[in-house]
Amino acid sequence: MTTATTATAVGEALRLPANAGSDLVVLDRVSIEFPRSRGSGHVVAVSDVSVSIRRGEKFVILGPSGCGKSTLLTALGGFIPVSSGAILVDGKAVSAPSMNRVLVFQDFGQLLPWRTVSGNVEWAVGKRWPSMKPRERKARAAHYIDIVGLGAQAGQYPNTLSGGQKQRCAIARAFAVQPAMLLMDEPFGALDAINRERMQYELNKVWASESEPVTIAFVTHDVNEAVHLGHRVMVMSRGPGRLRALIDNPCVGSPPHDEAALALVQELRDLLKDEP
Amino acid sequence: MSTINENARPAHKGGAPLPGTSSGVLKKVVVIVLLCLAWELTVRILKVNKLLFPPLSDVAVRLMHGLGFGGGSASGELWAYIWETLSVILQSFAISTALAILVTGLAISNIWMRETLSVMTGMFQPLPSIALLPMAILWFGFSRDSLVFVVVMAMVWPIASSLTVGFATISPTLLRLGRNYELGRFAMMKEILLPAALPMMISGLRVGWGFGWRTVVAAELVFGATGNGGGIGWFINNSRLFMNIGDGFAGILLVIIVGLVTESLFRLLQHFTTHKWGTESY
Repeated sequence: MTTATTATAVGEALRLPANAGSDLVVLDRVSIEFPRSRGSGHVVAVSDVSVSIRRGEKFVILGPSGCGKSTLLTALGGFIPVSSGAILVDGKAVSAPSMNRVLVFQDFGQLLPWRTVSGNVEWAVGKRWPSMKPRERKARAAHYIDIVGLGAQAGQYPNTLSGGQKQRCAIARAFAVQPAMLLMDEPFGALDAINRERMQYELNKVWASESEPVTIAFVTHDVNEAVHLGHRVMVMSRGPGRLRALIDNPCVGSPPHDEAALALVQELRDLLKDEP
Repeated sequence: MSTINENARPAHKGGAPLPGTSSGVLKKVVVIVLLCLAWELTVRILKVNKLLFPPLSDVAVRLMHGLGFGGGSASGELWAYIWETLSVILQSFAISTALAILVTGLAISNIWMRETLSVMTGMFQPLPSIALLPMAILWFGFSRDSLVFVVVMAMVWPIASSLTVGFATISPTLLRLGRNYELGRFAMMKEILLPAALPMMISGLRVGWGFGWRTVVAAELVFGATGNGGGIGWFINNSRLFMNIGDGFAGILLVIIVGLVTESLFRLLQHFTTHKWGTESY
């Protein structure tokens, strides 16, 4: 776990692990269609996307709203079926939701309101490892709650937390079950700018603190967020959602005013702007 | 609101203040005292026949004696009557709640069950279930079962219809969370659906209890005693037969008091659940 305070040192720790590189997820010509709610025909949300996500990387899916990026993530989670193509995780086709791929939502209401912060995390840990001893479960939950800085709020109910604290708790819960993959659907989208930047920084920190970094697919429409978080950034275009560009990001974890990062931010912004 | 200092929010452990600590209570007490005075004084000043409408003080004495305070011939008998009634309604309450959960649970996953439930709720909710008492007597005889049947028919529909609304309004995010953690049907019900629907559930239980309580007292008035003893409704009716109007009023007061006590029990339940969790504001 990194204790470094300077941004460059954090950047060091954010390098991909040596064993990274093998593909964890393969999206093979994935299309997702919905039946129109009125009338006949289909709405194409995602069209012919092929890409792979490497083990241990933070993979950002960036696109304007309505480009099907959340739909793609939801399909990756197994919550909705693909219309054609295939999503393979570890070589196996995704068919149903699994604790091995945990979703973190934008919605603050993703915590169980009737459980405390530690109750929420312990609940998830208990689902993941039903035979785990209560003491071990509590210790595991407490560890992750401390990592996200909610130690003082562990006994509080979600309705007494701020939006940022709720998302921290959701992140602690997701990391605590040690999934092969975290699917994050704009988790910081409803936070104010300052809090959002802080959470991005801390997400990088939590990710780096794991001995075997978890693979993260992170959906956002925020270009700065994409550059701060993603080892690679996949840019999608709207109507129907297509893969527009796939960009390696050497500036992951860099401070907000780093020149290279700013250049990349500009490049991504242009990509989003001049849609065909 | 400061978002930088996230620790600034106070720990909010106790939930909403307990009902009863607010200043509204004082006003309520004043109103009740005034009503009691009005009763007492009207009867005394207008010199109403005590046999037809006794003053509050007489009724209070009867109630006290009935509950076993201060001696008297009828010492403690009210407890037996009220317990008889309460045991019927508690049994019916448990049956109704279980039935409602079962039926609405099935209705979630099956469109035919859903329609069936919706049609049956529509049919039976407006029906005063006391109208079923004559049939119930035919089927079950002059037994406790008849009472329970009628009371269940009064309770189960409002509980089921509130639960249906409760389930229908659960946030999709929580349902997804449940699917994400691979909950089976039973676990989904126990760990997500029921707690999330608890605000609606409590309001349904409350309405159901109210319906049931009215029905059981009414049924006893018509029905008389079952097997080993009558309930409070029977007691009230008997008091009329023997012109013990004071006792009759004491019985009625007791019915009201039990209603108030249950209402506060429901408030207490809310205080320790939905109010504490913030899923219901008051």
